[in-house]
Amino acid sequence: MKKLYFLSLCFLMLCKLNYAQQNAGTLISVNFQQAGISQVVAELEAKTDYHFYYNPLQFDSLKVTIQLSNKPLEAVLEMAFKNTNFRYAITSGHQVFLTRGREIQTRLAADFFGNKPGVNQSSPNIVTNVATANFTDEKEVKVPEATTENKLYEIGIKTNTVEPGKATLSGYVREGKSGESVVGASIYVTNTKTGVATDQFGYFTITLPKGRQILSIRGIGMRDTRRQIILYSDGKLNIDMQEQVTSLKEVKISAEKVANVRNVQLGVNHLDIKSIKQVPTVFGEADVLRVVLTLPGVQTVGEASTGFNVRGGSADQNLILLNDATIYNPSHFFGFFSAFNPDIVKDIELYKSSIPEKFGGRLSSVLDITDREGNKKKFTGSAGIGLLTSRLNVEGPIIKDKTSFIFGGRVTYSDWLLNLLPEAYKHSQASFYDFNLDISHQIDDKNNIYITSYLSKDKFKLNSDTAYSYSNKNINIKWKHNFNDKLFSVITTGIDHYQYDIASFDNAVNAYRLNFDINQTNLKADFTYYLNRKNTINFGASSIYYKLHPGNLQPNNTQSLVMPDVIPAQQALESAAYVGDKYDITDDLSLSAGIRYSLYNYLGPQTVYNYAPGLPKTSANLIDSTSYTKNKVIKTYSGPEFRLSARYNLGDNTSLKAGYNTLRQYIHLLSNTTAIAPTDVWQLSDPNIKPQYGDQVSLGIYRNLKSNTIETSVEVYYKRLRDYLDYRSGANLILNHHIENDVLSTDGKAYGIEFLIKKATGKANGWISYTYSRTFLKQDDINAGELINGGAYYPANFDKPHDFNFIGNYRFSHRFSISLNVTYSTGRPITLPIAKYYYGGSERIYYSDRNEYRIPDYFRSDFSMNIEGNHKVHQLTHNSFTIGIYNLTGRQNAYSTYFTQQGGVINGFKLSIFAKPIPFINYNIRF
Amino acid sequence: MVKIKNIYCLLVIGAIVWGCKKPYNPPVVSSDNHYLVVEGVINSGNDSTVINLSRTVKLTENVSTQAVSNFSVVVEDAQGNGYTLKPEGNGKYDIGPMHLDISKKYRLHLKDPTGKEYASDYVEVRQNPPIDSIGFFPKNNNLQLYVSTHNATNNTRYYRWDYAETWRFHTRYQSGYIVDTVTKEVRGRRINELVYFCFAGDKSSNIILGSSEKLVQDVIAQGPITTIPNTSEKLELRYTILLKQYALTKEGYQFWENMRKNTEQLGSIFDAQPSQLQGNIHNINDPAEPVIGYVSITDIQSKRIFIDNSQLPTDWIAKYPYDCGPLDTAYYSAPKSGHNDVEDLIIKGNGIPVVPFGNFRVEGYLYTSAGCTDCTIRGRVMQPLFWKEK
Repeated sequence: MKKLYFLSLCFLMLCKLNYAQQNAGTLISVNFQQAGISQVVAELEAKTDYHFYYNPLQFDSLKVTIQLSNKPLEAVLEMAFKNTNFRYAITSGHQVFLTRGREIQTRLAADFFGNKPGVNQSSPNIVTNVATANFTDEKEVKVPEATTENKLYEIGIKTNTVEPGKATLSGYVREGKSGESVVGASIYVTNTKTGVATDQFGYFTITLPKGRQILSIRGIGMRDTRRQIILYSDGKLNIDMQEQVTSLKEVKISAEKVANVRNVQLGVNHLDIKSIKQVPTVFGEADVLRVVLTLPGVQTVGEASTGFNVRGGSADQNLILLNDATIYNPSHFFGFFSAFNPDIVKDIELYKSSIPEKFGGRLSSVLDITDREGNKKKFTGSAGIGLLTSRLNVEGPIIKDKTSFIFGGRVTYSDWLLNLLPEAYKHSQASFYDFNLDISHQIDDKNNIYITSYLSKDKFKLNSDTAYSYSNKNINIKWKHNFNDKLFSVITTGIDHYQYDIASFDNAVNAYRLNFDINQTNLKADFTYYLNRKNTINFGASSIYYKLHPGNLQPNNTQSLVMPDVIPAQQALESAAYVGDKYDITDDLSLSAGIRYSLYNYLGPQTVYNYAPGLPKTSANLIDSTSYTKNKVIKTYSGPEFRLSARYNLGDNTSLKAGYNTLRQYIHLLSNTTAIAPTDVWQLSDPNIKPQYGDQVSLGIYRNLKSNTIETSVEVYYKRLRDYLDYRSGANLILNHHIENDVLSTDGKAYGIEFLIKKATGKANGWISYTYSRTFLKQDDINAGELINGGAYYPANFDKPHDFNFIGNYRFSHRFSISLNVTYSTGRPITLPIAKYYYGGSERIYYSDRNEYRIPDYFRSDFSMNIEGNHKVHQLTHNSFTIGIYNLTGRQNAYSTYFTQQGGVINGFKLSIFAKPIPFINYNIRF
Repeated sequence: MVKIKNIYCLLVIGAIVWGCKKPYNPPVVSSDNHYLVVEGVINSGNDSTVINLSRTVKLTENVSTQAVSNFSVVVEDAQGNGYTLKPEGNGKYDIGPMHLDISKKYRLHLKDPTGKEYASDYVEVRQNPPIDSIGFFPKNNNLQLYVSTHNATNNTRYYRWDYAETWRFHTRYQSGYIVDTVTKEVRGRRINELVYFCFAGDKSSNIILGSSEKLVQDVIAQGPITTIPNTSEKLELRYTILLKQYALTKEGYQFWENMRKNTEQLGSIFDAQPSQLQGNIHNINDPAEPVIGYVSITDIQSKRIFIDNSQLPTDWIAKYPYDCGPLDTAYYSAPKSGHNDVEDLIIKGNGIPVVPFGNFRVEGYLYTSAGCTDCTIRGRVMQPLFWKEK
């Protein structure tokens, strides 16, 4: 057969040659002076028997001025289009196709008959006097924008009959109006069980059987859609989706909503900003981290904390990434606000179990927050006014369809609130701001550049004489390059900076300033290679250079007697290389296996203290110290990390998943307070402080009900932690030159079961989650120093066995919807007094074993109403209100309980935050 | 006195704005153990040493302590030379000036009647510089008292203070009359029956610590001692404070710091967790037995100052602790009813006659409650020995 095709091809080419010679025979004379295309064509058609085909719009800028006599048609056209990018093509049927930018090939595509490319190239190509191009494979070529559902899009080089075999389809999924990429959209072929999700740039690659296919595309916050394609060969297709405009009577096309079931990963939650914005929050401003707290397996120690605990991990074991930049302090205003501007955030992804191999460096979870891309088509913006904050965001094209920016800013004006406080706090000040500026630029079809930046600052001064401030600064540049349809890379480099500053002024002799900062410089390269339909390979490498100034105490004025105290800077390099493969073994069984090898070097200059081996690291056992010079490798820790997960489909809407992963963490947050305080310091692993290590095994069953409108899942996990840091009694963590004397290495274990029922669409939507989980730590190494609770397991601070969340939204009309949020959890563990005595002029208390008792259970419900202005499309601004009540029942949830002496007598107190129903209102404006 | 470690306790703002603080009684949890509590400072100098021994009690008990007697209490050096303290009852053991050798280390050695032995670690004698000054200044609506001290040889570094305060005050009304206990008649007060001016006192109940650890010189500059609200009766007339200063070792300082954190500084948003208290006293045979207390040795320094009301802002007005309206009237014969109110309300009742009224004769007395005219309810009339008027 192949031979026969080849012969036919040769025959065709010979024909072509013939025509070329024939054309030369018809000679014509023309004289055009500033002639438009229609004039040219009319005259040429009159003088020859050729018929012209062209798009007048493309040629509206063409003016032809030539004078020729007795020339063949080709020469006339050649002359007419000289030095322009207009092209012509002449067929055997005396048809002339005029095009702009590229020529129509009048012969069949070289590989039309399935010839191997090699054969094709060796064939003589005859019509080469003008630039030729293959429509499916040229940079300038605009990839078809598939915007409608009913059109059949032809992908690849068209053939008369569809070849058996597979072809690769790739492209971007974008939001039709703004041109913004849709991340995490799933693309499924209805009749096979394979599907893919778009990456962080909205890019996808899927390998399909050739022929006619229906692609189902589902993106969060987007209207479900499908595209009909006929796939001839490898090709590209960009898909425009429409934002979900919710309507009263929704037509559901839900047979394809199986992403959660089909995905290989488990323990992953994806939320877009729309669902985040529906959840009522205390000051009426959508809060990314508060919503994360309602997900199964995520807990918090209290309301004033945006630190969260995932599956028994501590708050510093979460890697919080904002556009790939590490955010060290994700909170504002004592933790009442999270650091992420809801107007800029596009969506979030929380990885609790199957952490992709490209992430590393933290034990518990990765919270990946992605900003929107600016609108590439027009300028838009929005503004919001709340009780304590105002927001503004502006976005728009810099170069239309190529470059866009998005800017978001928030400021507070909370001083009025502080002025309402009792005298003791009246003179307090607190404020914060944050700014995001992101620029994305499409260099060409294969190269994109993204620049993202973030700046935040918090300042507060309570009635005391001490002023606090802290700040995040992040910037990174990302270059995405598509080598071809199957291989693409993302190279990211950036700088992350976090610092805080405490300054005291009141007493001249003691006035001081204390600084802490951490800097990291990142470079990473991530590659994705779509090997074939069954295998998708990810590989890459990353490196982080840390420079940390653990503390710098300086006198604040000339009278101050404060002794400058500088803890030497710490340096380290954390590098990793990884490779992973998602392998679809059969339609029903998929495996994702990855390995990440991380290497950590603690670098000089540094003086390291040496302790007697086998004895507690206390000053009594200090032997000597060793000094190291700059960039000298002091200590290396390294090890492999495994990331495995597998999925087996049990029918169309049920699947079983299992996973195992191991992680290593080289940087620790030193905090012996219950909630993360803004002044906690980070510490790098060094010869005396080992990196933390954790592994987790998990198993889940996923099932979709009611035509996939209801997603359910159950997951169980068991996790081990090693070398998690806890603290000696009375540890001092600030300005401690021998921090190893005050920390203890503990081992931990955590296990739990998580249930989730989610209804993502419809008038009534929301989710219910319930988690039973336990987390225990122990310190039983007598040689490491003080035993905690006699070396037995004790509950971690965030061990809250029962945790229930309900988030429900009901839409009455386009313009009015209500939301209700209900949370219940077991109280967190506390250490209670068990005896009292008299000492130092007062009653004092003697405490039980650590975390032996619990504070009362936590319950809260919040309610909000969203009222939208009219929905006329053409108006200057669109307005909306959010009105609601936080803590509807006014339950006085215990944030903490404590015992303190007042006037010589011990009293127990329960501290509640937000102990009353708190009404809020927020006004938003979009332009 | 760099208060870096204490910042968390300042962050209670959120609680104040939207939250609340309510009494909390935990589920009844109590240990049946009664742990030994040892409190006191061994005075190496020119004054007596007092050690108090007690045991912990259950939280639910009404008493806050349980005194321990019949112990033998000895201060001894490493060679076993000892000074035995004399039991004074109620868990108190004392001894006069010992003039300890500042180059040596000493420990406290305790033996209970059953033969259980406890001992502190051997502790060095800490040198304690004299208190430089005690000062005060108005701050917001309080009077802030502070201490300044320094050690030119830079080797004290860790300090603790406690104090006893005494003040003179008066009642709302000055009563010149009294019901004679024998004759049951209202009569003028004798000089020893005057109850308008009294003295009251109090002791520190907070742990006051200071450290110059992070300073180039061993200087405590205006370390806060206490604050007195400007409406307090303490400042009404004249006030005095006797401040005692103790030098600590670093470990001793940490012990007190820990105790303070555990019992005085909780309740903010960013609380440190309560931690176990590690003292320096142990059961010799069973080191695991918890014993509460830290023994330190120093030459106790003290200083007294007086603060007169004339030194304070003139608009500071003491708030009277009882609700005293205008004086009430009691007739011998009420104008309309003819009741003998003096008999009913003053002689048989609780009213205290302040001043008589009437035209040309005593028709009755203006009277008030004891709280508004009798200072002995909360003080003593007798002037303490150390009291000095201006």
